[in-house]
Amino acid sequence: MATVRDRVIAVTSRVLKVPPEEIKLEHHFAADLGAESVQSIELVAMFEEEFGIEMEEEAALSVETVGGAVEFIAEVCKRQGVPVEG
Amino acid sequence: MSGSNKPHPLVDATQPNLLEGIFPYRLPPLIRFEGPVVETIDGKPVTFDFRSVKDREILITDTTFRDGQQARPPYTPDQMVHIYDLLAKLGGPRGIIRQTEFFLYTRNDRETLDRCRALGHRYPECTGWIRAVKGDFRLVKEMGLKETGMLTSCSDYHIFQKLGFKSRKACLESYCEAVAAALEAGVRPRCHMEDVTRADVDGFVLPFVDRLMEMSRGAPEDLSVKIRLCDTMGFGVSYPGAELPRSIPKLIYKVTHECGVPGSRLEWHGHNDFHKVHANGAAAWLYGCDVLNTTLFGFGERTGNPPLEGAVFEYIALKGDLAGIDTARITELADYMESIGLPIPENYPFAGRAFNVTRAGIHAGGLRQDERIYNIFDTEALLGRPPRVAITDKSGADGVTHWVNTCFGLKGDRRISKIKVHKLARWVIDQYEVEGRLTSISDRELEAKTRELMPDLWARYMGAAP
Repeated sequence: MATVRDRVIAVTSRVLKVPPEEIKLEHHFAADLGAESVQSIELVAMFEEEFGIEMEEEAALSVETVGGAVEFIAEVCKRQGVPVEG
Repeated sequence: MSGSNKPHPLVDATQPNLLEGIFPYRLPPLIRFEGPVVETIDGKPVTFDFRSVKDREILITDTTFRDGQQARPPYTPDQMVHIYDLLAKLGGPRGIIRQTEFFLYTRNDRETLDRCRALGHRYPECTGWIRAVKGDFRLVKEMGLKETGMLTSCSDYHIFQKLGFKSRKACLESYCEAVAAALEAGVRPRCHMEDVTRADVDGFVLPFVDRLMEMSRGAPEDLSVKIRLCDTMGFGVSYPGAELPRSIPKLIYKVTHECGVPGSRLEWHGHNDFHKVHANGAAAWLYGCDVLNTTLFGFGERTGNPPLEGAVFEYIALKGDLAGIDTARITELADYMESIGLPIPENYPFAGRAFNVTRAGIHAGGLRQDERIYNIFDTEALLGRPPRVAITDKSGADGVTHWVNTCFGLKGDRRISKIKVHKLARWVIDQYEVEGRLTSISDRELEAKTRELMPDLWARYMGAAP
C-alpha cells in the first residue's frame, strides 16, 4: 500500500493538475500550487474519498501545506481507526 | 446656507441600535407618522392626521375575478373557487379582505359564485358587477347578492366620447335611474366613478355624489350608496399641492367633507399606468378613504391594479398588527397562480421566486451572520420563504453551500458542509469559466444539478428522485 505522503501527492496532482514529481511537502496549496478556493474544497473532498475518512471542514481547510495535509490526514486516520502506511 | 447648518454630533455606541421599534423583523417594517400634514384645498389649508389610520377600520377589497380577469384568459370555475378559498384564509376571520366581486353574465359566472358561497366563508363577501342598466339588477337579485358595483363613468371622455350622452345632465339622470332601480330592488349600489381622475370634479363628480347622498338618505343604512373612485388610467397622484382632477387628497377630501360620504363607504380603485398604483392606494387610505380595491399580484386591465398582497403588508405596517391575516397564504396563492399559467416575475415583491434572493457571495456571508442584514422581514415566518442566494460566478462555494442548505431546509448543526457540495460548486464555476456563461443560474437548473450530482443527499432531504 502506498504511504500517506504518496497518496496525498497523487490526489493533489490530480486535483490541481500538477505533475507529482513537482509537488514538495513544503509547498503551499494556494501560493505554490495555485489552488483556488473551490479547489481547496475539492482537495478536502478527494482526500476524504481516498482515505475513507471524514474531516472537520474548518480544520481541514486551514491546512496550508502538503506536509501539513499528510500529518493532518494521518492523525484523522488514526483517530477514526483507518489503517494507513506511515 | 453656510453658518446656518445645525450641528450633528456623533452619537457613539458600542452596541448596535437596530431600530427594532420600527423594524421588528417578526412583522414588516412599521410606518409611523410624526404629525399632521397640510394640504391646500381651494386656497385654504386643510390638516390631515395620518396617525388616525391606526384607529380607523381600513379594509381591502378584491377584484381579481373582475378587473383581474380582464387581463387574462378566463379562470375556470375550479380555479376561481380555489382562489376564493385562499383569499378567505388570507384575509382572516376579521375580514380584512372584506369583499370580492363577480361577473354575473354567464351561467359559468353564476355557478362559480354559488360554489364560492357554498364554502361558507363569511369573508370576503361576494358582490356583483353590472352595467348601470335597470335590467341588469334582475341578475343581482336572482343571485341573492346584497351589493353590486355598477359603471357610472364620470369624465367627459366617457360621458360624451364613449357613452354618447347628449349632455352631462342626461348622463347623470340615467345613472340615477339605475341607482334608484337598485335601491328599489333592495340591492346596495356601489357606483364605480370611472375615469374620475380625468373628470370635471366640481362640475360633474361632486354634483353626482351629492345626488347619490340625497338618494341614500331615504334608504336603509345597509342600502346607502357606496362610491368607488376609479383611477381608470392611473392618472391619480398623491403629492400634496397637486391640482384636481389628478389630486387624490383633494378628491377624497371633497367627497368626504363637502359631499359627506363616510370613509367607510368610499373605495379607491387604481391602475398602474404610471407606476403609482400601490402608493396611490395607500395614500387614499391615509387621506380618509377606508377601502382599497385590489387584485392578486396586481393582475388587471393593462398595467394592473393595486396588488392585494402589497395592500396586506401596507395594512400590517400601518396598523402594527397582523389582525388575523394569514400572510403565508400569499405564497400559496403565488404558487397556485404559477401552476395555472400566470407567471409572476421573479423579482416581484413578496411573491416572485427571487424577491428575497441575493446574488453576491459577500451577501451570502452576511446572510449567514445575521439574515436581517439582507432580508426585509422574517420572510420565512410570514411567507414561508427564507432568504436565499442566487448563484452566479460571484457566489463562491459559500453561496452554493448556502443555496443547498436552504433548498434542503437545513439549519444549525444539520447544515451540510462545503465539502459535500464540491461537485456542485465545481459545476457552477465551470459554467462561467469553461462554458462562458453570462447569466445567473436558476433555481430550477440548480435543483436538477443537485439531484444529479448529490443523489443521496437529495433523496434524504427532498425525497426520492422521480
